[in-house]
Amino acid sequence: MAVPEFLSTAELLKQGAEARVYRAQFLGKPAIVKERFPKRYRHSVLDEKLTHRRTVQEVRSILRCRKAGIPAPVVYFVDYTSNCIFMEEILRSTTVRDHIVGAQQSDAGNDVELRLLAQRVGQTLAKMHDEDVIHGDLTTSNMLLRRGPQDKESELVLIDFGLSYISALPEDKGVDLYVLEKAFLSTHPNTELVFEELLKSYAASSKRSPAVIKKLEEVRLRGRKRSMVG
Amino acid sequence: MHLTQELELFPDVRVTQLLFKEVKNAAELRQSAVDGKINGALINPTMLVDPFQVLVAANKAVCFQKNGKMKTRALSSEIIFNLSPTNKISDAFKRFGISDGDDCVMVVVVQDKSETPCFDDIVSKVDGCQIPVKDISLLSDHMKIKKLYKVTPQEEKCGTLLDAVVSRMATKDVL
Repeated sequence: MAVPEFLSTAELLKQGAEARVYRAQFLGKPAIVKERFPKRYRHSVLDEKLTHRRTVQEVRSILRCRKAGIPAPVVYFVDYTSNCIFMEEILRSTTVRDHIVGAQQSDAGNDVELRLLAQRVGQTLAKMHDEDVIHGDLTTSNMLLRRGPQDKESELVLIDFGLSYISALPEDKGVDLYVLEKAFLSTHPNTELVFEELLKSYAASSKRSPAVIKKLEEVRLRGRKRSMVG
Repeated sequence: MHLTQELELFPDVRVTQLLFKEVKNAAELRQSAVDGKINGALINPTMLVDPFQVLVAANKAVCFQKNGKMKTRALSSEIIFNLSPTNKISDAFKRFGISDGDDCVMVVVVQDKSETPCFDDIVSKVDGCQIPVKDISLLSDHMKIKKLYKVTPQEEKCGTLLDAVVSRMATKDVL
C-alpha cells in the first residue's frame, strides 16, 4: 500500500465530500493528487464501482479537452487501487473567482478587463461543449488563470472534472451553463452584465449554440432538474 | 552521465537511466536482454521526448508489479509496454524496444535502495559512447512521436509534446 503512505506525508489542500486534494512532488515535479476515498455509508461493492467509474470519467474528460486544445491539467499517473489521480500542479495561477473579486475591489477601469475575461471563458466553454464534454461543476473556482512566463497573456485552465461526462444533448449543455450562471451571480454580485458578455461570446463561438441557449432559457424557468410530471 | 530518480511512491526503489549513442552491438544487446542477461529495459531513444517520460513508465510498472497487475512478464518489458499509447504488447516492443540495426539506446535500470548502484556491467556491455541523459532531446524524432501518439497541432497549443505523450501513457488503460 504505497499510495496511502505517500499521501500521509503530502500536504492536504482541500477536503470535500467526494475526494481529498493534496500537493506533493511526483517524479521530481510539483503535482496535485486527487484521492477519492472510500465512502463507508455506501455498500462497499457499489462504492468501489462508483468511485472507480468517476475516476475513469474524470481522466477521460481531461484528456478529451486537452486533445481539443482546451487547457486542463496533464495527468501523470492514475492509481486504480486507491483511486488517486496524479496530475500537473498549475503553477503561477489564481482562480477566476479570486481574480474577479480582486478586480471588483479595485474598480479602476476593470470593467473592460472583466468583460474580456468573460469572453475568454465563453469561448473556452463553447469549445468544450463542441467536444461534447459536460463539465458538471462549472464555477469560477474551477477555472484558473495561469500567468505566462513573460507577462504574456494569461491562459484559462479548466480544473475539477470530477462530475464531468460526455453528452451531445443541448439539454445537458444548457444545464451546465445554468449551473455556472447560478454560481457566478451568487459568488459575484452585480456581474449580470459580465455574465451576459460570457453567454454572448459562447453563442458566437459555437455553431451549435442556438439550441443550447434555447435550452438554457427553458432550464432557467424550471431549475436544473427536469420535470418528471406527466 | 546517468540519471537516477527515487520514486516518491516507492521510496525504496530507484530508477536509473543511461543513454548511449554510436552503438555498434544493438543486435547482441537485444539478444542479451531477451536471454535475461541484462538487468534493464532497452529502449529506442528516438521515441523519447524527455527523461520524465521514462520515469512515468517506470513508476507505473513498479506500481502494477506491486499490485500484481502487470500486463507483461517482466518489469523491464512492462516499462516498454507503458511507453506505448496502445495496449498491444507486440506493437510496443516494435516501436519502443530496440532493433538490431539501431545506433543508440536508452537503458533503464530499476533497483532497490539496498543494492549498491553499479552500472559498470551495463556500460561495459554496450559498445558505444555514453552521453548525458538530458541530451535525449537531440536523439528524439518528433515527427515520428507525434504520428504514433496522434498528437494534433491544436493540442500542442495548450501544452508541450511531453505533456501530450505523458497524458496518453497515463490514461491508455481506460480509453
